[in-house]
Amino acid sequence: MAGIKDLGVGIGWRSEIDLTVERLPGVDFVEVVAENLHIGHLPESVTLLLERGVPVLPHAVSLSLGSADQVDLHRVEHLGAVAEAVGAPMVSDHVCFVRAGGLDSGHLMPVPRTKDALDVLVANVKLAQRNLPVPLALENVAALLEWPDGELSEGQFLAELVERTDCWLLVDVANLYANARNIGTDPERFLDEIPLERLAYVHVAGGEQHGDIYHDTHAHAVLPQVLEVLDELCSRVAPPGVLLERDDNYPSDTEIASELAAIRAVVDKHRG
Amino acid sequence: MAAPTAARGTRLPPEEIGYLVAGPGRAAETALARLLDAGLVRVSRDGLVSAVHETELGTLTAVETFILVHLRKAARFDAVVRNAAKSQEMRTLHQQLRARRLTREARPRLAVWWVFLAFGVLLGLLALLEPWTLFGAVAFLGVGFWTYGAKPLTRAGRAALKGVTASDRVLAVALEGFRGRIGNQSAGELFGLPQSVVKMLPRKRKKRTGNRGGAGAAGCGSGCGSSSCGTSSSCSSGGSSCGGGSSCGGGGGGGD
Amino acid sequence: MAEIVEENDLSSARERLASRQAELLNALLANGPAPAGFDEQRLGVERRALLSKRRGIVRMLGPAVADELGDRFRPLFDAYAADHPRRAGSRAREDAAAFAEWCRACGELPEKLKARWKFWQSN
Repeated sequence: MAGIKDLGVGIGWRSEIDLTVERLPGVDFVEVVAENLHIGHLPESVTLLLERGVPVLPHAVSLSLGSADQVDLHRVEHLGAVAEAVGAPMVSDHVCFVRAGGLDSGHLMPVPRTKDALDVLVANVKLAQRNLPVPLALENVAALLEWPDGELSEGQFLAELVERTDCWLLVDVANLYANARNIGTDPERFLDEIPLERLAYVHVAGGEQHGDIYHDTHAHAVLPQVLEVLDELCSRVAPPGVLLERDDNYPSDTEIASELAAIRAVVDKHRG
Repeated sequence: MAAPTAARGTRLPPEEIGYLVAGPGRAAETALARLLDAGLVRVSRDGLVSAVHETELGTLTAVETFILVHLRKAARFDAVVRNAAKSQEMRTLHQQLRARRLTREARPRLAVWWVFLAFGVLLGLLALLEPWTLFGAVAFLGVGFWTYGAKPLTRAGRAALKGVTASDRVLAVALEGFRGRIGNQSAGELFGLPQSVVKMLPRKRKKRTGNRGGAGAAGCGSGCGSSSCGTSSSCSSGGSSCGGGSSCGGGGGGGD
Repeated sequence: MAEIVEENDLSSARERLASRQAELLNALLANGPAPAGFDEQRLGVERRALLSKRRGIVRMLGPAVADELGDRFRPLFDAYAADHPRRAGSRAREDAAAFAEWCRACGELPEKLKARWKFWQSN
């Protein structure tokens, strides 16, 4: 797809680290959380990055495309407006549900991997796509629990979703690692099953092992095991982009720079 | 905390230099500058200061520690400076500088101080004819001396600042403040801070005419939270303003 | 015709999914009964993770309330949270404000804190 090729290595732009993101070497693209931006007054830092020619990709967390309810078109409209404001080639959200039964979980919850859930998800995604000005990429989430009676593996479920909606995939290797640790997903099988030619880009994030549970916190350092999953992915396909997500407990500029360098080293290893 | 040898010739720590140049507000700015320099805190474009997570802290002064402890949650740039200037740790620093005789209790100068001097001299001359007026002369000269006021910096304090230049960006903040200018850029810019952040701090008070404090020796501007300028000091800002009518300089060594 | 059948299929799929999702969130957020087939221990892990995330956000948005409550913040918030799950469409700030209000109503926070909070903000 034109425009999404070769994003390079990027980082999630957050207002707390805006100056850091601006001065870090080797930030080829950034992602902004769409819900945090207001059309009409983009943060100065985002404008500055755009002026420098750094691609800015909106990432949504609240469409709740896996919800049984209809998609909230106001949220879709906002995401589309952010995409236009930053001239983004693509937007993204997650394969998850956030709200159900009048409650808000405040989190990206996994959907059951059943035919029912897939039918609803496909309908929601198609409606969102019709109301978005640019292509939509969907991301695999980290789950702490497994729905009973799943009919498909996670990879098969995503492959079906792509097949039926023509959406793009945003593969989060930290979530894949988390699911491997917590619910026994096989990362290699996952990577075998998803259509890698529809890979938009990749997320990398840090987390923390707590007892027998791995928590995808985005507030800790990236584990070497997560980079190994990235390595596995890169051995199959050259990802158009890889982006580091850090949402809290921001470390020093040097530490962030070295995490980006470690990601770049993995990507470069497979380019030759 | 402060190196005890500092008063004897070797250079003072930047925070103390900041204090001597323009009072607790400047010392607070200097402490923040050092934390920024060491990569222990970061500032965002909207002026929020936050502590950098999980870093080797190294050796910190009490004021720097105060700032870091209170940055569990991000705080506005100006609030960080103001709260540090008003902290107990800053009062302790003030007392230490006093104990080392680098500063003293400052007295504001009375506008009519010279009247007492004139009377004293007059009575002194009169004493050649009427010796008993000598007592009056001494009394008037004493009052004249008192109302002349005293700068907060002692001779030792001024000597300690002698030769201190903005040789690095922390010292630049100590001498001029984040808003002060070093060459053609503001000291804040040396830290990559946007003007919108630096301008959160109160503007440096312009040097008043008649202020006799030279650059770097004006001394101890702000009385925020401490009493280097006596009761006349105001606490209007974390920067370097000083109460009206005092002799303690326009604050901030009068760079611009 | 085929489209209508598809629409009907979809709306019944939505209904079935809706009740399953609602049942799960009710169990996780509002101390509802555990839905059948789920690992009880994992439900507990997820419940704690969601609660901890929500607590962290409220602490971040209302540090004055959290500081005032000190060690009581966590147990009080956890008690509040189970009785007041976040409604769909509500904002995190409303959640933080509602928690402070709840604490005041319970007598855990003095009324005056509100004024001080404003003073602090305006400063």
